[in-house]
Amino acid sequence: MKKLLTATGVILAMTVTSVMAAPSGTFRQAHELGFGSSSSLDPISKGRVFQITEKIMSRLVRPDTTGKPSADLAVSWSANSDATEWTFKLREGVKFHDGSSFGSEDVLYSINRVLDPEIKSPARSALKMIDKVEAVDESTVKFSLSTPFADMPLQLMDYRIRMIPEGSGDTIAMTGIGTGPFKLVKFDAEGVTKLVANMDYYEGAPGVAEMEIIGIGDGQARVQALLGGQIDFENTVTNLQRPMFENSPKFTLTAVPTGNWRGLVFRTDQEPFTDVRVRQAVRMAADRNELVQLVMGGGGVVACDTPVKPDDQYRAAIECPQDIEGAKKLLADAGYPNGIDVEVYVATLEPTWPKLAEAYQQQAARAGIRVTIKQVPSDGFWKEAWMKKTVAATRWNERPADQALHEIYLSTAKWNESFYKDEGFDALLGKARRELDFDKRKALYVQAQEHLHQTAGTLIPYHVTKLYALNSRVKNFDMVVNEAIRWHKITVE
Amino acid sequence: MLTMILRRIFLGLATISIVSLIIFAGVEILPGDACTQYLEQDQADVELLEKCRDDLNLNRPAHERYTEWALGALTGDLGMSVNGEAKISDLVGARFANSLLLAFFALLVGVPLAMLLGVITGLWRDRKPDIIFSTIAIFAMTIPEFVSATLLILVFSVWLGWLPGIVLTSAGSPISEFFPEILLPVIVLSLVMTAHVMRMVRSSVIEVMASDYVQMATLKGVPYWQMVFRHALPNALLPAINVVALTIAWLLGGVVVIEVVFNYPGLGRMMIDAISDRDLPVVQAIALIVASIYVCINLTADLMTMIANPKLRTMYLRK
Repeated sequence: MKKLLTATGVILAMTVTSVMAAPSGTFRQAHELGFGSSSSLDPISKGRVFQITEKIMSRLVRPDTTGKPSADLAVSWSANSDATEWTFKLREGVKFHDGSSFGSEDVLYSINRVLDPEIKSPARSALKMIDKVEAVDESTVKFSLSTPFADMPLQLMDYRIRMIPEGSGDTIAMTGIGTGPFKLVKFDAEGVTKLVANMDYYEGAPGVAEMEIIGIGDGQARVQALLGGQIDFENTVTNLQRPMFENSPKFTLTAVPTGNWRGLVFRTDQEPFTDVRVRQAVRMAADRNELVQLVMGGGGVVACDTPVKPDDQYRAAIECPQDIEGAKKLLADAGYPNGIDVEVYVATLEPTWPKLAEAYQQQAARAGIRVTIKQVPSDGFWKEAWMKKTVAATRWNERPADQALHEIYLSTAKWNESFYKDEGFDALLGKARRELDFDKRKALYVQAQEHLHQTAGTLIPYHVTKLYALNSRVKNFDMVVNEAIRWHKITVE
Repeated sequence: MLTMILRRIFLGLATISIVSLIIFAGVEILPGDACTQYLEQDQADVELLEKCRDDLNLNRPAHERYTEWALGALTGDLGMSVNGEAKISDLVGARFANSLLLAFFALLVGVPLAMLLGVITGLWRDRKPDIIFSTIAIFAMTIPEFVSATLLILVFSVWLGWLPGIVLTSAGSPISEFFPEILLPVIVLSLVMTAHVMRMVRSSVIEVMASDYVQMATLKGVPYWQMVFRHALPNALLPAINVVALTIAWLLGGVVVIEVVFNYPGLGRMMIDAISDRDLPVVQAIALIVASIYVCINLTADLMTMIANPKLRTMYLRK
């Protein structure tokens, strides 16, 4: 009888595995080795290797393929009426890679680590509204905020804020224990890091058996590795490299919009840009479509001075065609009938700045805006030109809508690079944070962006599009922003 | 002889210490430091910057830091890397071994090949073999390494798929793991260096073959090949020692371009990474190491030439 039972067990096990299709093959990807030998697996440290942590650790909330918050380690959430208290229900029965079970204590630990000023995590700014985290029970946590914040789930979607086991802070940099679809086998930042499928992953076993994440610092070398089949995926392909992949059956090339932008800042506290009409004129003179073509080789999405990324749910739909006559008239009204002279500071630390400045120089000249380009050494740019000179180039990386608007334009913001002071705008943002109804909140954020387009000193001509190149042997790969890729779904031939 | 060697060694040391001063000064002049780099992206703030500089001892006067650094370097202590927070001597060790490995294979292929081709082209001057090999050599020399490297990657790894295009192995791995990834960089390096050495050997073979004593030997009726091997080649190959030495120094110094193109974890790539990270202690250390290698190898080569060439040896002795 016992034998029979074991036999049925074996057969059962066999059928189960054959139905579930065991993971197979190896997926290989490069990382940029940005922090050399101080690279780490601590998801919130400066040296984190994101290409690894995203596969071995999970967040509470993650973006779905359209960018909206969806369940990850938290399955549902709700707020009190003024959005100062958020309750998150956690997924039950989840195990860390070391076998311990995941619960509210781990969330408390992970979040408090981000907030700990001693740890100096760059992720801290995303969660700075959190006052206190408490465990309601084993699978419920409550966040108390210092200000109303209607989009708390969006903040928790930050790609760095990942859950680690309670008390693992001192070792996490090397062990990389998380709840993600892949488990760490060997960490070698400068060489090949090996991961293996986590068969107990809560959304089902992954499709590939192993992953290799390889440190390759040089962008050109990464492209060569991709072309030669040494890696399968690369998301830093430049427009110049486009033809190498575009018509090849071996690769799929996809343009994925990002929230990263480059632009020119006209300081609103310095003449002549203290006059809102001059600010409008300098932005009106830009032909943004042409800038995308000339500067980015077509790799961008036109923006009308909004820092909110093109596919964000709060992005305002604004039209902003070039208007030379309008710009001239505004300048004349402001008392500059003969146009203005502008010195634009750029550096090659962002390779597209000089091109952007040159293209803008040509366009603006027609409206009587005479641009002189001042190129300064990259090393001193942030210290000596940016937020110092009247007009300078700038660049920002993707942030959630609320964070972008706050960090760049709020009167009191530390990096308010255009010295933009507008009480009406500040009030709009405050109201939006308190508004729990999505549609009303969206209307407020849209209004704030439209207000910027009317009055801001920052020319944001486009958001940068990223090119993803993928070896065709990889299937089921989500061609979406990196943070939303579902790594357990992919398979390789 | 001994005083002469001692004098050369003393001169070598003097060169290295002057070089160390220049390196230090150069690095000092560079705008930006490890702290501005470390804190750059998210728009550094002045307080953090000052604190970081204090932590890293960047606020002390330059001459104090130089003395400390130079004394440390003498005892083999190259200081700490800013970024990795690790001992530079530990970091450099593995990288240097890798550059050595690359150089060894490139020399193994390149030197014998260059000698052989040099002799062939020299003896058959202006005839078919010479024209063919010399033309190839000119191409190999004049096409920049990164172009030939990229072309070879395109052909052998992208089109044919025979060899891996870039090196994925990390710095501290055992030698066996570098195969077959190391083959393409070795080929590119041997190409360049074979061309240089070959042309040197060729011209010196031509010179020797036209010399009086070779004509004398020919007139005396010494068989051609015996004359070539016994009288001409030993003299013709001597000048090659110096070229080979320079090539070795060039290879050991980390062939920066090649290492970056192939992602090879050697001294050259480490230098580039350190420069872009503003990891100045590492930049200084590598520059010093490379300078020392040049001086040492040149010294050895000069001494070897002297030992092999009685004329030079006695010239010094008579003084």
